[in-house]
Amino acid sequence: MNYSPITENDKEEMLKRIGVRSINDLIMDLKPSLNEKLDLSKPMSELELVEHLRKLSQKNKIMKYFIGAGAYNHYIPSAVNHLLMRGEFLTGYTPYQAEMNQGTLHTMYEFQSFICLLTGMDIANASLYEGSSALAEAVLLCSSYNGRNCIFIKDGLNPQYLEVLKTYCEGADLKIVNEIDNNTACVIVQNPDFYGSIENLQYVAEQAHKVGALFITCVVEPTSLAILEPPGNYGADIVVGEGQSFGIPVNFGGPYLGFMAVKSFLLKKIPGRICGMTTDSKGNKGFVLTFQAREQHIRRERATSNITTNVALMAIASTIYLALMGRKGLINVAKLSYSRAHLLQNKLKSIGFEALNKKPFYNEFYMKAPSGSLENISSNLLKNGILGGLDLDEDKILICCTELNTVQDIESYVSILKETK
Amino acid sequence: MNENIRFTKEHEWIVIKEGIAVIGISDFAQSQLGDIVSIELPKVGSIFRRMQTMAIIDSVKASSDIYCVMSGEIVEVNEELLEHPEWINQSPYELGWIVKLKPSNMEEFHNLMTNEQYNKFIGETEENREKDQSGG
Amino acid sequence: MKLIFEYEEETTEHVPDVDDNKERERTGKEAAAEDITIELPKDLMRKELPLPNVSEITVVRHYTNISRMNFGVDLGFYPLGSCTMKYNPKINEDMASLDGFKDLHPLSHESCIQGSLQLMWELEQDLTKITGMDAFSLQPAAGAQGELLGVMIAKAYFKQKNEKRKKIIIPDSAHGTNAATATMCKFETITIPSDSRGNMDIYKFKEVLEDDVALVMLTNPNTLGLFEENILEISDLAHTNGTLMYCDGANMNALFGITRPTDQGFDMIHLNLHKSFSTPHGGGGPGAGVLGVKSFLAEYLPLPRIIKEQDNKFFLDYTKQKSVGKVKYSYGNFGMLVRAYCYIKSCGTNIRKVSEHAILNANYLLNLLKDDYELPYNRRCTHEFVLSSRKFGEKSALNIAKRLLDYGFHPPTIYFPLIVREALMIEPTETESKETLDRFAAALKSIANEIKENPEIVKGAPYTKLVGRLDEVAAARKPNLRWIAFSQSDGKEDSEKKLYVKK
Repeated sequence: MNYSPITENDKEEMLKRIGVRSINDLIMDLKPSLNEKLDLSKPMSELELVEHLRKLSQKNKIMKYFIGAGAYNHYIPSAVNHLLMRGEFLTGYTPYQAEMNQGTLHTMYEFQSFICLLTGMDIANASLYEGSSALAEAVLLCSSYNGRNCIFIKDGLNPQYLEVLKTYCEGADLKIVNEIDNNTACVIVQNPDFYGSIENLQYVAEQAHKVGALFITCVVEPTSLAILEPPGNYGADIVVGEGQSFGIPVNFGGPYLGFMAVKSFLLKKIPGRICGMTTDSKGNKGFVLTFQAREQHIRRERATSNITTNVALMAIASTIYLALMGRKGLINVAKLSYSRAHLLQNKLKSIGFEALNKKPFYNEFYMKAPSGSLENISSNLLKNGILGGLDLDEDKILICCTELNTVQDIESYVSILKETK
Repeated sequence: MNENIRFTKEHEWIVIKEGIAVIGISDFAQSQLGDIVSIELPKVGSIFRRMQTMAIIDSVKASSDIYCVMSGEIVEVNEELLEHPEWINQSPYELGWIVKLKPSNMEEFHNLMTNEQYNKFIGETEENREKDQSGG
Repeated sequence: MKLIFEYEEETTEHVPDVDDNKERERTGKEAAAEDITIELPKDLMRKELPLPNVSEITVVRHYTNISRMNFGVDLGFYPLGSCTMKYNPKINEDMASLDGFKDLHPLSHESCIQGSLQLMWELEQDLTKITGMDAFSLQPAAGAQGELLGVMIAKAYFKQKNEKRKKIIIPDSAHGTNAATATMCKFETITIPSDSRGNMDIYKFKEVLEDDVALVMLTNPNTLGLFEENILEISDLAHTNGTLMYCDGANMNALFGITRPTDQGFDMIHLNLHKSFSTPHGGGGPGAGVLGVKSFLAEYLPLPRIIKEQDNKFFLDYTKQKSVGKVKYSYGNFGMLVRAYCYIKSCGTNIRKVSEHAILNANYLLNLLKDDYELPYNRRCTHEFVLSSRKFGEKSALNIAKRLLDYGFHPPTIYFPLIVREALMIEPTETESKETLDRFAAALKSIANEIKENPEIVKGAPYTKLVGRLDEVAAARKPNLRWIAFSQSDGKEDSEKKLYVKK
């Protein structure tokens, strides 16, 4: 399959106009030249491609998921994808020429507004790659803001996020430390935490602010924000996280949607694109990318981040998702996720599992298996098409429910466990 | 124009008043930068060596370092510019002053260009302009 | 256009209504077993959620109409230099949306992810063949993150060798990301000017190549669309000095099957799958910024690595050797990897044609335009070229760009690279027809005439778009960055709207 429309005739006319005899004359300078053909497979027609990819995709097995741990399986209204696949959204690029990209910009502005409303913050950017690297960007922001290089992380951060953070810290010469003091650039808390537990973090904010550190709240399951107190209300200076729950499939890990929202005093430090409303030459409302002087293409080695391409299309997806679900729909998603998770926990308690969450939880919780081992349990669930959770160690499992885990699913989960000895 | 004003090749101006140096950017510099939309100022009390970056001025599509013209300690910054960056465009020598500094080496002042020398200098470097930019 | 927040309250329902369920239960019909109510302390609960509630038809019309205010490759020619706006095959969207791919949880059991692992493994293999590198990591989410990973690897490599190298050499034609990335990893940047042929100045390069230089970062072909003529000498000098060679692979689409970065002496390269391998740009991402390295750097790549076993089974290897660690959650932007994989499989052994036609199209267009605009570096170009409109005066590139909108074309990249005044950076790509190139050249010639005969027309453009030229200065000086809910601000919207409070 070849997507170039140039015919042999065209080619000859074009070469003649350029004044060369062959394409080889055009690529003489590209050296050292490769003499043999690349050892790739035979070109596939569209039909062959479809067959090949279908087969590959069928080697994967989709389960009933009772797992979250950073990727959440929520219902996505059909209209999201229909709108997203419009070539106008799909095939444009970063709106440098604002007059020609009002669609993307308008949606970015709405996205920023949604994120601010949900987090209780003043300013949001137009997206970052995904949650874990967004958290790392937030840490770099803090260090650049207060010139400090120690990072304090409260227990309960998603371990993959922690790994990513360590990688970035190593690169940027930052240290992860065990106490909060005058060298602390920021204090990081995930809420709900990796184990699903939620708390009001006002006291952490106070601890951080007392020593001049910034307070970052990391939100990995953002549907929780539909019912929980927004972090802006309990003292967060930065709210950063993962927006995948808002209308983006789990996609085997990506693309997802990183977001960052800050209090207004950090406006000039926030990385990534920001869209602003302005007026045109006729006085009409319009949108542009603004504060571009913060960004790498202008500030180069003085920029606080190198981010360029973000995940604009994913931000559009989640904006459409939030618009479709609306206030009522989003609250229902949160309430259903909450109640299904609590229903499952109750049922598991009744068959001998020990609840380990010491605080209230949202839609994830962890438990200790009665038999002292999870091995049979997990494999029996798998055999029945259920991914029962994330095995944390030999006998502890992290379980998640969303509105997609029906009451029947929960019942069959429990009955399989009853049969497992 | 104040007779005692001096300029750098990087287009900062400087005037000494009662032992304190007032620093800003020249009219030529502001016209080249275009509409200034924000400025990052140093903290009062910070100490700079000559030609270190002390502030950053952003226009819509450019970001420029402002150098410390003389070594010394910052004693005051023009915080009003945070709300009114356009003053640097409208009134570069008065409302648009950027910092006041206590110089540690007065000798440095005498190496700077006078108004006349500076005008000659910008005539010669007319070609040497700030460029707008946008990336792909 | 209204904002989604400005519509009247309507009804909508995409998921079951929790309250209805309880109602059914109370009346004894279809007991839903949803008897769990939320019992959380008050200080954990939100008081109000000021989101809109509108019907599906309102949402569909809203975003369909908004989308019509956008331009994309599907609508017309988009020669945005350096960004490679080639056609994005529709079938690749369908393939990435197959249930087996899009609904697969990243923490699934190994036995359930064999198809995805095979796809990723094969993609790594194909990329090693195309670039000559020995190993790839598909983890980075975009080119800039691939670059960041590359610089982190260089840092770890020299730390391991106990060498103190603090500097990175970058030519002045480089993308801004290169310098920003160096800073993120606490390296110092040395910028080398370009010579009169658009190459990195080799004499200046030799002067600064001291034993504390960790990395030379080059884009090849560079952002002027010119192939670095001294590349072999540069990489020899660097290697003799113990310095690593990093290739910013943003322009790899010019080189498929023609020459390989490893043959030019590069030790690392990141590829932008959304540029070279045609995954859609989505209005600014998602991309994928895979990183390839020579074998001596392979053990520094992020974990997990995908390993193929003898019986054609694949597994994820988390054995920590010298890995710098993860740069993102899970394994990469998998959805984009599927699209790039499809693209490579479609091209197969004919992939060289992609680059040949990209180069043919660029040189043809260059020839049509070089008499009306200035060509600052008079050389044959690769897949893109940079013209200057300086003879038409200050801000002429911006005016020409805005006027092109009226002719129905997306403008080229303007004012980049920084070393060309009034730069117009044009990349036609291989997926455009000769007829399109002819029409585009005619438009640019016509604008050149307009500037001579009626310059005011060009300065006031665009005229045919729904919005006129937008005020970027006001946007920055009086920022309005989000919609404010009235209920949230107790009617005090004026004070609330003033978001940008300086402290």
